[in-house]
Amino acid sequence: MLNFQVEPRVAPPSVAPVQFVLPPELEAHQPAELRGMRRDAVRLMVLPRWNSEPIHTRFDALGDFLRAGDLLVVNDSRTLPGLLRARDENDEAVEVRLAHRRADDLWDVLLLNGRTHIGRAGMRLRFAKGLRAQILARRPDLPFLWRMKFDTCCAELLDLIYQIGEPVRYTYVADALPLDLYQTVYAKAPGSVEMPSAGRPLTWELLLKLKRQGIGFASLSLHTGLSSTRDDSIDKIHPNYDEEFSVPAETARAVNETRERGGRVVAVGTTVVRALETASRADGTVTDSRGWTKLRIHPDTRLRVVDGLLTGLHEPQASHLDMLSAFVEPKRLQAAYQQCIARGYLWHEFGDMNLII
Amino acid sequence: MFSLRNQVALITGASRGLGRALAVEFAKQGAQLVINSRAQSTNDLRETEALVRALNAPVLSVIADVSQRADVERLAGEALARFGRVDILVNNASALGPTPMPFLADTPIEEFETVLRTNVTGPFMLTRALIGQMLVRGSGSIVNVSSDAGVEGYPTWGAYGVSKAALDHLTRVWAAEVQGTGVRVNSVDPGDMDTVMKRASEPDGDASQWAKPETVTQVFVYLASNESSAINGKRFQAQNFALA
Repeated sequence: MLNFQVEPRVAPPSVAPVQFVLPPELEAHQPAELRGMRRDAVRLMVLPRWNSEPIHTRFDALGDFLRAGDLLVVNDSRTLPGLLRARDENDEAVEVRLAHRRADDLWDVLLLNGRTHIGRAGMRLRFAKGLRAQILARRPDLPFLWRMKFDTCCAELLDLIYQIGEPVRYTYVADALPLDLYQTVYAKAPGSVEMPSAGRPLTWELLLKLKRQGIGFASLSLHTGLSSTRDDSIDKIHPNYDEEFSVPAETARAVNETRERGGRVVAVGTTVVRALETASRADGTVTDSRGWTKLRIHPDTRLRVVDGLLTGLHEPQASHLDMLSAFVEPKRLQAAYQQCIARGYLWHEFGDMNLII
Repeated sequence: MFSLRNQVALITGASRGLGRALAVEFAKQGAQLVINSRAQSTNDLRETEALVRALNAPVLSVIADVSQRADVERLAGEALARFGRVDILVNNASALGPTPMPFLADTPIEEFETVLRTNVTGPFMLTRALIGQMLVRGSGSIVNVSSDAGVEGYPTWGAYGVSKAALDHLTRVWAAEVQGTGVRVNSVDPGDMDTVMKRASEPDGDASQWAKPETVTQVFVYLASNESSAINGKRFQAQNFALA
């Protein structure tokens, strides 16, 4: 087992970013189930990494684009209700968005009043159910995040977070939805504050069908942080968060064996790319490892491990598009995204999907 | 008895009766435990926790109502946060409805719905929340606690009996869907037991004729253990259970 604290591996991007305008009607406001369809019935754009035109199909046809001997690697982190409502010493409302758990009673958090960033060292917060916390200090490297210490910890704190929290959501999701709608069907231990959404359309019916097809399945954990600070000027510079991850030995073995046999490693989500590439050696082998990663993948990054990526459709300017451009030339990605817009694909965590392979 | 060493078991309705007996027996066999009850039974659940701790078994108590969607997700999440996995799930929590138990024609609609929500939808939701991590590992055992009231049409046992019949069928469909994966789903009818619930349902019954919950645990340990890894989709009667 290796312990990591990984810094960026490559220089910033040297190619033009993917740019487009997302029409508001293409925002998915609800999960597929609440739109009267199965999770795995969302749309899927298959974008070959080299030369060919995109193919437009349905997600449950995923197996048509994979081969026996390929390996799907998923992020099994379970989603926590990361949005907590509190009051400060003056009884002013404060919205606390959990970002990263640093210790049993310690979290990095975003403090908001509407969309306005607030917070100060020493601030004391009261939540429902008697939970209290104190703001310690800004994070020096990410000054919009505050370090917050709860007055309780461990199982008791987790229980209270579950009881008083709601899933983090953005303006395109009008109402709080049940937390179970933010879970993948294989979710394990909680730790993510936003759903690792690329795996959301996977159903067990589809996964077992893929297994019968000879496609392997392995999991790792990367606890996701916040995808937005609610401040466009900050989001635009793509702050580089560190995220906690764990690649178990059996997953490292499955990846290495797949590559030795000539199979393809397909990451389900950008978080899986980040974790696997972090856990990789220069020769492309993966080792079991855990720690925090700040690995940033750019169009120039030479991917060591991952051959394909199953992912959602990402917003204009999103840092994820940089990562996607490591798989496919930005110009072709941009053209493919234009096709998705023309065909009415839906964006965000409850939207349609993209396989780059 | 069969070893449950290093296995993580989640038992709902573990504050007393069969649930408590299972928690104690599973702890004796080496399991790590997540035990659950509703808020009304917190003190009883603490007693179960103390009994299990006395056996040196790691244990997490979670107060949650399995009929409530948010509670189920919380229960599953806290169990997985503590132990990293759940190998065994016993859906034991159960609601009887109003007592003395009424004819179906006299059963309030709300009570009927409440019984089905606790006894059928609850196990469905909790199984749904936990079976995925079992399927990933290719192993796991789910045991649903049934009743002969789900087979025979006893007067006044309407809502409860319907719920247990549905739970048996839920067991069969789950089992068919996961056949060959290494995960198995079975049900057990524990028979007449001397429990608070049984005494409430039959206040004039002869409790001396009813089995003590501690005496019917063997089949549950068997189904939880790897000894039963080939058993899937079966319905057992605990008081007739004997190994060849």
